[in-house]
Amino acid sequence: MELEKASARLAPRSPWQAVDLGTQLYRRWAFPALRVWLAFTLLPYAALLGLTLWQESWWPLVVAWWLKPVWERPLLAWYSHALFGETLTVRQLFRRWRQYALPGLGAQLTWRRLSPARSFNTCVWQLENAKGDQLSQRLRVLNSVPSNRAGMLTIVVLHLEQFMSMGLIALLYMLVPWQFSLEFSDWFVDQGALQTGIATVCMYLAMCITEPLYVACGFALYLNKRTWLEGWDLQLGLTRLGRRRHQLSTTSAMAVLLAILLLPFSPSSEAATNRTDQEQQEVIELLASEDYMPFEEVTERRWKGEAGEDSNWMQEFWKAFFENLEDDVDTDTSNPPSIPDTLLWAVAWALFAALVIWLLIKVADQLGLGKGRAEDSTPVIPTHVAGMDIRRKSLPKNLRDAMEQCLASGDVRAALSLLLRTALADLLRRYPVRLAAGSTEQQCLRSLREQHGEPPPIRFLEALTRAWIRTAWAHRPVSEDTARALLADWETLPGEEAVDA
Amino acid sequence: MSQPATLADAAQLAQEIERRLNQVLIGQRQVVREVLIALIAGGHVLIEGVPGLGKTLLVRSLGKVLELDFNRIQFTPDLMPTDVTGHAMYDQKTEQFRIRRGPAFTQLLLADEINRAPAKTQAALLEVMQERQITIEGKAFSLNEPYMVLATQNPLDQEGTYPLPEAELDRFLFKVLIDYPDHQDETTLVNMVLDGTIRASLDVDSLSPATDAAGLKALKTLSNSVLIDAEVLDYALRIVRATRDFSGLSHGASPRASIALARAGRVQALVEGRDFVTPDDIQQVARPVLRHRIQLSADAEIEGQTPETTLARLLEQVDAPRQ
Repeated sequence: MELEKASARLAPRSPWQAVDLGTQLYRRWAFPALRVWLAFTLLPYAALLGLTLWQESWWPLVVAWWLKPVWERPLLAWYSHALFGETLTVRQLFRRWRQYALPGLGAQLTWRRLSPARSFNTCVWQLENAKGDQLSQRLRVLNSVPSNRAGMLTIVVLHLEQFMSMGLIALLYMLVPWQFSLEFSDWFVDQGALQTGIATVCMYLAMCITEPLYVACGFALYLNKRTWLEGWDLQLGLTRLGRRRHQLSTTSAMAVLLAILLLPFSPSSEAATNRTDQEQQEVIELLASEDYMPFEEVTERRWKGEAGEDSNWMQEFWKAFFENLEDDVDTDTSNPPSIPDTLLWAVAWALFAALVIWLLIKVADQLGLGKGRAEDSTPVIPTHVAGMDIRRKSLPKNLRDAMEQCLASGDVRAALSLLLRTALADLLRRYPVRLAAGSTEQQCLRSLREQHGEPPPIRFLEALTRAWIRTAWAHRPVSEDTARALLADWETLPGEEAVDA
Repeated sequence: MSQPATLADAAQLAQEIERRLNQVLIGQRQVVREVLIALIAGGHVLIEGVPGLGKTLLVRSLGKVLELDFNRIQFTPDLMPTDVTGHAMYDQKTEQFRIRRGPAFTQLLLADEINRAPAKTQAALLEVMQERQITIEGKAFSLNEPYMVLATQNPLDQEGTYPLPEAELDRFLFKVLIDYPDHQDETTLVNMVLDGTIRASLDVDSLSPATDAAGLKALKTLSNSVLIDAEVLDYALRIVRATRDFSGLSHGASPRASIALARAGRVQALVEGRDFVTPDDIQQVARPVLRHRIQLSADAEIEGQTPETTLARLLEQVDAPRQ
């Protein structure tokens, strides 16, 4: 392996930076990698799709999924050569298939099939070609702490693959004409050939994206681990340094020889000391250079970009919010005092609690849990019924005088209105019922009857309502005598206190 | 055949028709009342309910009691507009085109499961319902009066259906919800079948006509003379207008709904035996007039509201007429 030929910078990274490197590798070689993937998988998957449609069964898809380690090996072989400048053709990959595909394949397809670190361990099997105890030792060393995060990578890519395939299936279901009778609701009950075929195709299309990405990321994790353990970056740095020194020594050889010949005395020991110091300095510089240790661990919150670069007010707000949290003990008295953490957290928790309570109330309403409570509560005495104001303050103090005044002017309607308002105001206090602004006088009467039967006051209200409806809506006012008789009836009814007693 | 001359006669006749219909259609008093109001008001009815609740029986009974022609069309996805209205057909004997009249040429048309047919077939009914005429090959044919379309739709099985467009929905005076009869009514129904009082096939032979087309026309004319106070009319308009900016509704009812509400309120008063409309009459008919003319907003649907609950809320909030 000639590390100098690597087309990516080999430097110690955090596992997630290594995954980033894998993503970069995939992005750079997405099309060649896809070509390799299709060359090795298209025909087998077409055959499995045919079996799926023929058998109307899921097992071909399960077999294809189980054989994933087989499909991944050509990709890894291609990446491992491409990184060091050698681009393998599909023909070459087919020809070398036995060399790279067979090592450890049996284990990978059986008891190690469900290993979450598959992307990483495949590299050990395939690229190092170790066997027996040596292999176990290598796997133990390379999987040692700190973790290489290969398991997390598998989980992330697995989710990505599932979401992509489900998204594609959903899209297809939406686009398929209704005559095919494809329904999401049938997914778990009716799995015909069409459903399984669609699932197989969508799964394969998603894998066309995720598998080359997964292999590239696993390979980058492997490179990173070896860089950490074997000091590849240092090895590379020293190689470059040695080469530079070699060039320097050959170009200056003539000058040195000339100097020796011309000078009567040469301070050889001093020159040797200077050379050692220079070499030490160069190694120190190398170790301090960015090539050697670009990995920086940051544990504090940082904002993307420089301040003011992005004028997004939301970002500015959150920036100010978090800065406030961090700098609440501000010793600079020239600045306005910042809001203390406790208050901000209290406000945040209060808002969160309010949101939760609001959601609970909404859910309770939807489930009808709040309805019973509302109905059980004592009815509120309305202020208006059938558009009439029945508040005490709006009613005359002396009903008889007010009615007589209306009757004297020939306004029977106004007289009856006064009597009806007074009667309703009084009866609704005695016999509470639930009424709304839109309740009509007949609804009011029906509600009173339903809840309180037909005691004399409610029977009186019925007669009064009949007279009122005749006067107001039929345009046939009752006679003044009838109005007076109704008033007399009202006055003879027992009072509120008597009823309560 | 009795023809009403006064409002009192009209009320009596309407109640008699209602009584006879209720003899056959047991446990559906509200449905019978609403269909009768729509018929007298000269409107069409959209009936929604699961199969087996007597929708066809209702229409057949109406035809029998009122001596009206009756036709039934089962709407299917492959039903063509000409299957409803009729078409011109070449007669080889006379070497001329002759008009073959479709089932829409009747007086009571039962459009069963109207939402099973595609939009163009549903649209064939638009002219029939609004203009009371059918145009075939450019020639307009007037339909006999009275004319009523009773369309049904099933609320459960929505697979492969075509929802009615708003323009067509607006042409139905009422949307009537037909539900299962309550326990007591169902017991009565079963006992009557077991006793042989009525046959299991629920035939309408036992019904005798109460009036005819002329009597129905007189009823309709008399219903126009029912008094509606300006405040009550204003109340009807306020209810309809409130649907246009009410929370939970994405769009409200058109002015056609205001007219329908006032007309239906008058007939409701007539059937109740009154010659004037009360606010209560307006409230009674507001739901069937409005429930198919309003559209719930997405939020309201997610919250589980229905047109019924929203209308109930609306009717509670619109102030009753103020005096």
